Amino acid sequence: MVRLSDDEVDIGGGKTRMEVAYGSGDGDDEAQAIVAKKEATLGAIFDQSYRPWEGELGPRWVRNYAIFRHHVYGLFRGTGHRHYHPMVKLTILIILLYSLLPVLMLFLASLTSGGEIGDLTARMWGINRYNLWGQVLGYFPRNLCCWPLLTALVVGGMISDDRRNGTSAIYFSRPVTRFDYTAMKYLSVAVVLGFVIVLSYFVYYTTAIIFNAEGWAYLVDTLPMFLGGLLAGILVVITYTSIGLALSSISQSRFFAAIAFLGLIYGTKLLALLIDTQFDSSILYILSPYDCLAHIGQWLVGIDQNYEHPLSFSIVSILAINAACIGLLTARVSSLEVTRE
Amino acid sequence: MSTELNSGPVITAHNLRKMYGPHLALDDVNLEIPSGAVGILGPNGAGKSTLFKCLLGLIKTTSGEGTVLGYDIRTEGDKIRSRIGYMPEYDALDPGLAAVDQVRYSGELLGMNPAHATQRAHEVLEYVGLKDQRYRKIETFSTGMKQATKLACALVHDPEILICDEPTNGLDQRAREFMLQTLRRTVSEGGRSVLMSSHVMDDVQDVCDRIVMIHKGKIVVQSRIDELAKQVDREIEISIWGGASRMQAALEGRGFEVRRLGRVIRVDRVDDNTTFVILEAAAEAGVQVRQMQEYEPDLEDIFLLIMDKLGAKVKGTSELMTESHTGGGPPE
Repeated sequence: MVRLSDDEVDIGGGKTRMEVAYGSGDGDDEAQAIVAKKEATLGAIFDQSYRPWEGELGPRWVRNYAIFRHHVYGLFRGTGHRHYHPMVKLTILIILLYSLLPVLMLFLASLTSGGEIGDLTARMWGINRYNLWGQVLGYFPRNLCCWPLLTALVVGGMISDDRRNGTSAIYFSRPVTRFDYTAMKYLSVAVVLGFVIVLSYFVYYTTAIIFNAEGWAYLVDTLPMFLGGLLAGILVVITYTSIGLALSSISQSRFFAAIAFLGLIYGTKLLALLIDTQFDSSILYILSPYDCLAHIGQWLVGIDQNYEHPLSFSIVSILAINAACIGLLTARVSSLEVTRE
Repeated sequence: MSTELNSGPVITAHNLRKMYGPHLALDDVNLEIPSGAVGILGPNGAGKSTLFKCLLGLIKTTSGEGTVLGYDIRTEGDKIRSRIGYMPEYDALDPGLAAVDQVRYSGELLGMNPAHATQRAHEVLEYVGLKDQRYRKIETFSTGMKQATKLACALVHDPEILICDEPTNGLDQRAREFMLQTLRRTVSEGGRSVLMSSHVMDDVQDVCDRIVMIHKGKIVVQSRIDELAKQVDREIEISIWGGASRMQAALEGRGFEVRRLGRVIRVDRVDDNTTFVILEAAAEAGVQVRQMQEYEPDLEDIFLLIMDKLGAKVKGTSELMTESHTGGGPPE
């Protein structure tokens, strides 16, 4: 038996055994088969060597900005930052576009200015106290559907993911304090909510001025009610962020935080509504974060209040809800472990 | 291999005490750890994690004082954590991120600017053997790759001290050897100090030349391993064929203290005459001595001996391991 050296085994081109034995030209010219080939000697040898780093570490704000950027950039970029599911991003985009819908209506209304139709469209979509209140605290579908859904999508996993994945150790084994961690998470959520809620409100107001070519007198007239609505919008952002993050901090599941938030908003609202319709008492609305905000918003914008209980009850309730949620959030973040969870 | 780089201690503790309510977690700990590789040993619940937390400045000590790299652990925790790399025992990675993004983010959390952090992330991932996998999502990683990513996160800012909590948890033999080699190289080539806790004595012996042993919150031993080995009584190890129990009885009849594991018996080496007495006992018991050699005590023996002296009923370090240490399989 003839022994082949390693080099001889390397049959270039990969001919079939038949071709090798009998040559080609008998109709098998195109035939191919995989035959033994010597392993390619490609690739680099792994050379492990420790490389020191001579750079300087930045101050506290650099670390905090990194946390903020990680959570906010994830909404706009596909990789490299906190992962948001594409459906979540799409839903947030739809909510943003929906909240900007009045801008389109304003534009259409501006085309029909003057006359009966012009008055009607101006009343429906133009700047007035009711419409400004409605932009941030309109009953349905905006406030009671879009904003809670937006919050649920953003806060789900914001802290619970760190608890589930143990990534709290990544933060706290570094010079990131629990205060910084909580504050940056809070700010990240608030900025995303604010981007949709407050920005859409701001755009609505400014485009109304532009489309109708209003002057300084109009601006001076409407600015106080705009600022009232702006403050109400900021209150919505703060309150929803507090509740959402508190719920995110008590579980290890994204789903729980989102569903619990929606359940809390809708549940308290529904309960208060049932009591109101059955017993003609609006006092239980102080348990509903939405209604408390709506009540305060009505006062801030300066429209008729449709709640029977005093405004101070709603103010105290909102303060208490925020305080309780931030207290819970702080306590839960304090319990996040570094060495073991 | 001597890995001690200079004589000054990098970590000191003086009468450090930590109480959780009525429970005493650390009991007047006095420590002086020089630079180099040091193994922190102790049974579960001994206080290793509490010690790490105190050293990282994460929890307030009840009393006592300590320094890490000259910084006070009570008041300068943030400075300490800037100069230390901590590799946690459990999963601490975001499964939705690619390895390079996770390491980069770890660097940014230390204050590195994004460009430096990205460049450094590539470097350290190459160092820990994940160069080709660095763009893969962590959720697709094996346990070994996750451990390597955690190590990369800890090394991203080139820390002066690397604290590794059970770095070989759940790793197969090949990944384990690579992890230990990486740690050794970090000390010998990088000139960094490594503080490593593990239940696997072979791992500690492989990387470290000093150990600190904790038991019930107290430091019971802090010394070089070779110095400790000298203090252990010399033994002769024999392999028996055809009646190990008879052989054990014959040796015990001659006044030897015998330790037996199946057919392998170890007896204290009393003097040069011990080997002849063993052969006599074998002849009397009618057994074959297949092998006889002087036994070199390893860290496992030292650990068990110390545990025995402390009255802890531990037959082997494998008893201290949970599924997370063995990767779900039975302990070796």
